[in-house]
Amino acid sequence: MTVTAPDRTNRLAITRAGGQLITDYWEKLFTARDEGKQIVWYNGGALNPIFQAAGVAWCHGEAFSARLAAQQMEGPAQLAGAEYGYSSELCSYSRTHLGCSVLTVQGEGDGSGVVGMHDQKELAARLPRPDFFVNNYAGCSTGQQWDEVSYRVFGKEVPIFNVSHPFLWGNKPDAGYLKGEEWDAASKYVADQLRELISWLEFQTGRPFDWDALSESMFYIKQAAELRREGLDLCKQKPAPATFWDWIASVAPINFLPGDQALVDYFAGVRDEIQGRIDTGVQAVEGEKYRIYFDGIMNWNKLGFLSRKFAEHGASVVAGRYIQNAFWQEPQLLNPSDPLLGMAQHYLLCPTNHGTRTLDHLTLKDCADYQVDGIAFHSTRTCRAFTGPQRLLAASAEKNLGIPSMFFEGDVADASFYKDEILESRLAAMLEVIDVRRERGSM
Amino acid sequence: MTVPAMERLVRAARDTRGYVAAWRAAHPDGKVLGVMPMNFPRELAHAAGLLPVIVPDDQEPVTEGRALLPEFYCGFTRNLADQVATGRLDLYDAVFMADHCIQLVGAADVARQLQPETPVFFGMLATSLSDAWAGQKVAEMMNTFREEVEALSGSKVTDESLRASIAAYNADRRALRQIFDERTAGSTAWAPTELQDLVASAMVMDPVEHLALLELARAEKVGQPRDERVRVHLSGHMCHAPRRELLQVIEDSGALVVDDDLWTGRRFLSTDVDEVLEPMEAIGHWYTSRNGNLPCPTRVQHDADWDTWLVESTERSGAEAVIHLMPKFCEPHMLLYPELRKRLDAEGIAQLLIETEHEGIPLEAFRTRVEALVERVLRKRPAYA
Ligand code: SF4
Ligand code: SF4
Repeated sequence: MTVTAPDRTNRLAITRAGGQLITDYWEKLFTARDEGKQIVWYNGGALNPIFQAAGVAWCHGEAFSARLAAQQMEGPAQLAGAEYGYSSELCSYSRTHLGCSVLTVQGEGDGSGVVGMHDQKELAARLPRPDFFVNNYAGCSTGQQWDEVSYRVFGKEVPIFNVSHPFLWGNKPDAGYLKGEEWDAASKYVADQLRELISWLEFQTGRPFDWDALSESMFYIKQAAELRREGLDLCKQKPAPATFWDWIASVAPINFLPGDQALVDYFAGVRDEIQGRIDTGVQAVEGEKYRIYFDGIMNWNKLGFLSRKFAEHGASVVAGRYIQNAFWQEPQLLNPSDPLLGMAQHYLLCPTNHGTRTLDHLTLKDCADYQVDGIAFHSTRTCRAFTGPQRLLAASAEKNLGIPSMFFEGDVADASFYKDEILESRLAAMLEVIDVRRERGSM
Repeated sequence: MTVPAMERLVRAARDTRGYVAAWRAAHPDGKVLGVMPMNFPRELAHAAGLLPVIVPDDQEPVTEGRALLPEFYCGFTRNLADQVATGRLDLYDAVFMADHCIQLVGAADVARQLQPETPVFFGMLATSLSDAWAGQKVAEMMNTFREEVEALSGSKVTDESLRASIAAYNADRRALRQIFDERTAGSTAWAPTELQDLVASAMVMDPVEHLALLELARAEKVGQPRDERVRVHLSGHMCHAPRRELLQVIEDSGALVVDDDLWTGRRFLSTDVDEVLEPMEAIGHWYTSRNGNLPCPTRVQHDADWDTWLVESTERSGAEAVIHLMPKFCEPHMLLYPELRKRLDAEGIAQLLIETEHEGIPLEAFRTRVEALVERVLRKRPAYA
């Protein structure tokens, strides 16, 4: 007989409102063609404010793959990709999305969406075909190549624009997080390309770009990002009032929803709910015993399961690279009246675009700030960008902070790489190490 | 006793450490630069008096490196991590890199973290080559490389020294390319493993020394016409050499390799540096043009099509089949492969995908698959052929 452990999670209620905003956004995208809108497929950093100001509808490739995986609807696209020849070892975001491209191109009918599947109402079946692509991938070479391949799958008939991002390696002695000659040069280079992108969009849309609309959108995004940051800082409280999983539920809003008052209201709601919990002593995980840092890109198929699994052991996942160091995370860099430089800088600040030296600095800082007891590394099978530095980060956390870590296998959008027993046994082993160290007084 | 030229080339190809030790003995003040594949312009480093060695997969099993990079990184990068972990990468005074395959970046980062005394310089050359600003960005990065190699060697790269290095590498490349062209035209004088040794030694050696030995080795070779074996083209295998045993199995299974686009083959030789242009301009031009000459899946260039190149190449060489050699987990290759497959299918060219691994390649299984490919092609041959 399977005994189900009691659910010790206490998720933020406000994320339900976020869920509705996201549903509304997708609905609008699926009907954008009917409203006479052009549609752009893009990958990488959040270019949506630019698309919003250009008056086009936007579909973020990774977000679409993540959504399919979160709803357990990735199967048809991945099968189509596999049949076309993509190896199962290829980044599952890219092969899910490329699978959608293959289905779209192969589709019968009016060619306006992913067709040829039995249920046209399903999410995967409703993605409208792109009018153009924009690639904005920093850090991971796969991200850039993926859109080039999409361009080829569509027979080179859909125009494409690439924004290139130098990897923030840090060659020069003055190099560091948000500083140094290389940072300044890279920021300017990307900002210049954004200007080129805007001219290109003017050509594609046949309309002048609305700079005021961009400023307005960035005005709201900056506010939302500041509120998000305030909320994140509140989670340093012990016990934690909200967890990494709550923030994961808020990734979509900050990553691709339109910059408007609704976005600001949402993040004000998140911040306020967290503050309310602190005021009333409500914990995110009942009986928090351990505080864990999560490193790795999200395992979208297993989101709810993971949050319950950690909570079962009294482990509150309080922070993680994908949240603390991503998504308009440095709002002080944003200047709505002259937005391009700050936007470019955020694209460069993708958490896979730093050398290990900087990542180590960020991880150690987060672990200290959030009083973390251990790190869970999601060894994301098909995402080499996230996993590359993980072993080095684990060694450094042990050496510099005396923090143990564990690795568990999984993937962004392919559940077949996930092994429940491994997670369970490794998590238990790490928590035991923490217990032993606490008994010895070394933690 | 003098060692025959070919044997010296083979030794340099297979024992980088030995060659570097000998070079250091002859150049006590000289520095050796480890160059990560596939696009760093060695001419610049050579002109500064350095010995630029393209860091090879040294074919040792991955042991301690396992703890540094995930097992789903390509074999080459895991081997690099192992070279770091076991001190084998200390062969180089510095490591330079121009390519941004994320797996290669991961391996270089391991080197930088674990060997802090060795400078690991990463200057990312623009990868999106269709952009109007790509040429300018490449030129800027080439100037940065020039400054960095000067700082490392303590000597200036003059236009004169750069011209001389360009001429030396061009001459060596040309001589190698001639051998490859002869194979395309029908000669079977060189076995695939020998050609691999010729190129791999060029990746390690000083070009003048390499060319002298190459000329001697060539003089000893007698060209043979093709026999009736099935003519195949070997494609892919970025950044490092396929196992020699695998090349042997392919030819032992009734196939004859008539051309390739391997990194340790034609890909390495695809482009010379223009000797008419100003030398720094020529170096930039070399990089931006070579992807057009032989498209690489690690670059993004809308008008450069590896599939078209492959089809045209089989027409030049008379190849009847293409064998894709894909290093397991090589993401750039995984992404482009379906486009290649689709095009070759459309052209009716037989093909086989072999996924190679750093360790434990199942040679007998590969033999069976190559034999099946050979059978398939033979059945398609016209009766009178
Ligand atoms: S491998 Fe990871 S970082 Fe790269 S494109 Fe895929 S999901 Fe993005
Ligand atoms: S291009 Fe392929 S072989 Fe080269 S480092 Fe990247 S994954 Fe490895």
